[in-house]
Amino acid sequence: MLRQDVPESKPLSEPVLLILASLAAGPRHGYALMKDIEALSNGRVRMGTGTLYGALRRLLEEQWIERFEQEDTSREKQAYRLTAEGRRKLEFEVERMKQVTRAASARLRTKEA
Amino acid sequence: MNLKPVYRALLRLYPEDYRLFFAAEMLGAFGRASEEQRARGRLAYGRFVCVELVVLAVNVPVEWMAKVSTSSSIRARSLPDLRMMRPAGVPRELWFASARTMSAPAPDEIEEAEQRVEFCLRRMEHAIATHDFPGARFYSNEDLKAREKLRQLRPKSGLGE
Repeated sequence: MLRQDVPESKPLSEPVLLILASLAAGPRHGYALMKDIEALSNGRVRMGTGTLYGALRRLLEEQWIERFEQEDTSREKQAYRLTAEGRRKLEFEVERMKQVTRAASARLRTKEA
Repeated sequence: MNLKPVYRALLRLYPEDYRLFFAAEMLGAFGRASEEQRARGRLAYGRFVCVELVVLAVNVPVEWMAKVSTSSSIRARSLPDLRMMRPAGVPRELWFASARTMSAPAPDEIEEAEQRVEFCLRRMEHAIATHDFPGARFYSNEDLKAREKLRQLRPKSGLGE
């Protein structure tokens, strides 16, 4: 069966979340994304080149990101940016995570009391 | 030891369309990350190389699976169909004029010649993307021959240049 679009409610994987979060600040090319993701995760996640470009390919297919032409765009430095749909997905995911965090914190407080 | 040539060779394991759009970027990113890790010391560099090789070994089959299991309309969002792209140096008017004539029924011989032109063009672009310059020259010559044949066939069948 051929794959179709990803369902709306599916939680984002960590690499996808980090890529979207990095691009939320502005367009970036591959290497800049790898560096920013490392910084975003406090050095915990060092994304391999293959992982990054596999995820970028999927995000382009979902139309959550798009290629972005810069003045110095070369074959080695193609920049990517978030689309409106990608921003919406990121906002949705952040909201979902906030909800889970609030619920978990409330449970912990109940247990402590 | 510079592993960039090895990584470039390993990138050939990916599907052709994926390679055409991402190989140069991946190689650039690998090169910069590799330099950075090498400056951090042998251990960091060794770890980096191991991670990259494992990631590649996992991703190559994943990308082949994605290629065969994804509908072409969705895949075209990330990896545009090269046959639909206007080649460098071909004016917009000429490209769209030829696209219009393609919708008219063409004799088999012309269709075959057109397919040969498309094939040579794709192979040439692929050769350039993978830095295979003798291959690119070969397909460039083949492309010229195929276009010349097409040019000679079109007036015979009543189609324009």
